[in-house]
Amino acid sequence: MSLFVQSLVLGILLGGLYALLAAGLTLYFGVMRVVMIAHSAFLILAAYLAWVFARETGLDPLFSMVATVPLFFVLGVAIQRLLIARLRPATLTMMSVLLTFSIALVIEGLLGYVFTGTQRRIQLPYGGADIEVAGVNVAVVKLIAFGLAALSLLALYLVLTRTRFGQALRATIQHPEAARLVGIDTERTAGYGFGIGLATAAVGGTALALDSTIYPSMHWHWIGPLMAIIVVGGLGSIPGAAIAAMLLGMGQALLQIPLSTTWAQTIFYVALFVTLMVRPQGFFGGRLAQRF
Amino acid sequence: MPSASDRTRGPGLTTLLRLAGLLVLAAAVLSFPSVAANPFILSVGVVIMSYAVLATGWNFVGGFTGYMSLGHAAYSGLGGYATALLIIESGLNPWLALCLGALLTALIAVPVGIASLRVRGASFVIVSIAFVLILQLVFQSWGEFTGGSNGLRVPRPFGPDVLRPEQHERFFYLHAAVLAIALLAWWLIDRSRFGIGLKAIREDEDKAQALGIPTFTYKLVAFVVSAFFTAIGGGLYALWFGYLDPIFQFSILIGSYMVLMSLLGGIRSLYGPLLGALVVGYSVEFFKNEYGDTQFHLVATGLLLGLVVLFMPDGVIPALAALLRRFRPQASSIREVTQAELAEQRESQESGPITQGAKR
Amino acid sequence: MTVPTGLRLTALAVLSGLVLAACISGGDDPGTEGGDDTITIGISLPLTGDFAEPGKGVQQGYEAWAAYTNANGGLLGRNVELTILDDQSSADRVAADYEKLINDDGVDLVFGPFSTRLVIPAAQVAQDYGFLFVEPAGAAPEVFAQGFDNLFYAAPAVADDHYDHLADAIEAMPAAERPTTAAYAAMDDPFAMGTAYGLKARLEAMGVTTVADEVYPPNTTDFSSIAAKIANSDADIMVGGTQYQDAVNLILALQQLNYQPRMTAFSTAPTNPEFPQAIGDKTEGILSPTGYTPEAAYPSNQEFVEFYTEEYGTAPGEDQANAWTTGQVVAAAVEAVECAEPEPECQQQLIDWLRDNEVETVVGPLSWDAEGRPQGAHLIQQYVDGRIRIVLPADQAEAELILDKPVW
Repeated sequence: MSLFVQSLVLGILLGGLYALLAAGLTLYFGVMRVVMIAHSAFLILAAYLAWVFARETGLDPLFSMVATVPLFFVLGVAIQRLLIARLRPATLTMMSVLLTFSIALVIEGLLGYVFTGTQRRIQLPYGGADIEVAGVNVAVVKLIAFGLAALSLLALYLVLTRTRFGQALRATIQHPEAARLVGIDTERTAGYGFGIGLATAAVGGTALALDSTIYPSMHWHWIGPLMAIIVVGGLGSIPGAAIAAMLLGMGQALLQIPLSTTWAQTIFYVALFVTLMVRPQGFFGGRLAQRF
Repeated sequence: MPSASDRTRGPGLTTLLRLAGLLVLAAAVLSFPSVAANPFILSVGVVIMSYAVLATGWNFVGGFTGYMSLGHAAYSGLGGYATALLIIESGLNPWLALCLGALLTALIAVPVGIASLRVRGASFVIVSIAFVLILQLVFQSWGEFTGGSNGLRVPRPFGPDVLRPEQHERFFYLHAAVLAIALLAWWLIDRSRFGIGLKAIREDEDKAQALGIPTFTYKLVAFVVSAFFTAIGGGLYALWFGYLDPIFQFSILIGSYMVLMSLLGGIRSLYGPLLGALVVGYSVEFFKNEYGDTQFHLVATGLLLGLVVLFMPDGVIPALAALLRRFRPQASSIREVTQAELAEQRESQESGPITQGAKR
Repeated sequence: MTVPTGLRLTALAVLSGLVLAACISGGDDPGTEGGDDTITIGISLPLTGDFAEPGKGVQQGYEAWAAYTNANGGLLGRNVELTILDDQSSADRVAADYEKLINDDGVDLVFGPFSTRLVIPAAQVAQDYGFLFVEPAGAAPEVFAQGFDNLFYAAPAVADDHYDHLADAIEAMPAAERPTTAAYAAMDDPFAMGTAYGLKARLEAMGVTTVADEVYPPNTTDFSSIAAKIANSDADIMVGGTQYQDAVNLILALQQLNYQPRMTAFSTAPTNPEFPQAIGDKTEGILSPTGYTPEAAYPSNQEFVEFYTEEYGTAPGEDQANAWTTGQVVAAAVEAVECAEPEPECQQQLIDWLRDNEVETVVGPLSWDAEGRPQGAHLIQQYVDGRIRIVLPADQAEAELILDKPVW
């Protein structure tokens, strides 16, 4: 019983991080119909920046977000405006996959070039600390990571629902032509949307660096589950991605009780295939997902 | 070359010249083993030939339908493992095992294709990557059957009296034969009704569907044929290399090489993937020699892919063809144009004078 | 008349194909390099990619050995020269590298690469060309089950036997004091799993119940679920078949769950100098097998440690020692049969000589069985008073074995 509760808590904590990252990934798709393969490569880049920051300054790695979040926002806008926007609209989905894939390879190669393939981990004074609640041990670092993810998701939600920019962004996602007709600069909105998506990678990367080893080729092990999550949640649907992330994160943690670590990871892919077979538009996706 | 413009030209001299060109190409390939200075060069030749087979196999789906699979390493890996396991578990003749293994892989590709082709491109790409990752996990975990992380030795198809250089030579010719078959199949499909339907899907899937083309079935068939040839390539490579390890077989990087090679050479051209394989295979060796101790090869692959996507999305062959076309009188025949090119032409028509009509 | 585009392009493809073939063929003729006064030795190592870190250690060991040998009169009076290629941690590349070293660079001898996953494809190439293949890192049992007759592992013991001394010590305890339950966690890697399951087989034979047995893929970074299962089992002894970073992550995850085993052992990681800092100095009582210690009293070891420390400023580790040992083993065979040529006759003589003889090395005297398994066991080290010390076997112990691990 205690193992079950323990695993459930771990699953929720993990699901929070998945939710934040999947939200960013599905946001790109919403605004641009782009499958951003490099999302998790930027995640690892942010984690490395947090690691370098902590190593050089001796400060808590969380402070690195002061620099990385704005930096990644600008980078995201730049990638959308300078690279993605150059592609032909007719082949945008396919070519953007290849383009972002090549960005991922370049990031991985450069990380390997600068930091070598050695696995790195930030040493935190509270790295092994835990809080015991009702017989369940919760690691402090995991709580911090979850808190970060939850706060960022909340902020994202507020931006999307309460601001004019959020309205413009959602209009762009739902119907770009109509959005243009009512006077929304969809190009610029898409750029900012991309920037926000990449900013989630900065937050996620910092959270990841708190409690995990990082190495350059690690992003492949994140992009698979994340892509499965956004398909299950319905491409372009942020609430869908968040819910799917939570469910699959918990599913993974619970499946580890009877199964081995490796087999438990396959839950993402099984969910992906089942979704495409049964309900290709995803479980929370709308009209948009049906066409892709 | 497949482009429709050639077909409208009369036969005779052109056909003759083309045949001569083909013969020279074949002669160049077949004489390579005797030109190669030592077994190492020969082994590089085998690797490049293997790349060419894989890229041509990839191009059955990538080139005809425009659906870019980043995870075709799944099918080369499955082909390799299927071949090896059939030999080890059931004592089958290696060549029979190779064909049967490829057929099995094609069978596995059917449900994957159904899942990923029902909707448009984005899901297809996602599934293609996911499938490689899941296979890596499964083949790693299922140790009793696949050898897991210990790897799997593949029994040799030739006896111990066939020395290694001799093996390289035989496998070079085997790869060349498979490549020739794959190219022939590509050429035949390209000229068929089926091929025209596939290309219609590539240019505009909605219109193709409206014209009554069974798009889903067509895509699925192309996908399965592609998986079959990729599996043959993977199986042949496994027989030559003699060792399989999940993390190297089901690797994203191998899949991305296939895309890069085809795209670089030109996915619409028969010889595009072959040319791409030559260039990429050679540059891989070159970069390793020059920048051996760094991760630079990843950066180079990434940059090359990015540049091709941004500036030469139709590949080197069409780009060169366009260059060549400038130096000769404007052809008046019907030409294959992409939807995007048409759109560009339309746009320029709207702004420019209305003399463009003849071009279409 | 216009020449069709297709034809021009066919011609272009043929031409570029020929040019490329010519370029690749333009390599050196084999055997011209170096001449008669040097012995060239070909090595492929993972200098980039996933195995790069230990790969670098092996490289240092090889280079130190070559420098030392040349400073002491060389081999057969000839200087040795290393040709080291980077295999990018990939099996395809490692085979191509040895193919290149043997055929294109015309090396006289080859040394093995690093990591079990790369040893088998590399050994195949060496075997096909009749080369002696002594390797510094390929301890997994599978390496020796492939029927290679040219392969020798230059370390004291294969992975299964690493914990033999610890198993003996536990067996020697009074039955009532022995641990009764055990938990295992091993990376899905032939070497790491070999160590943990070697001990598992011994403990199960003694009647120690296995209450948790986890295998995780090499890319695992989140160990919380594995740790939860182990903590839940509350096993008396916890055995980790680990490399470096996974052990650190696993230990931190176990600490986060406040699991306190009575005994715990991890392969590889605890011998790393950075280990105590990485897990927050909670090392006391952690056990680890090691194939090498700079303090060992073997005759050549002192020279090795002195020379290496002078060159690199730190004492050598296990990777460096294994590489140096490889050099020593090959050198002993070369000196004994007095040849170092790529020709199969000479290589076969070297192989035959090693089959029948014992070699004095920095890790002790080594001899091999017919499949190339070394016939020895690893020392067992333990963190005692904050320092890693040899505790088993008793005749080489530097400190007393702690049986009840303090709280971490």
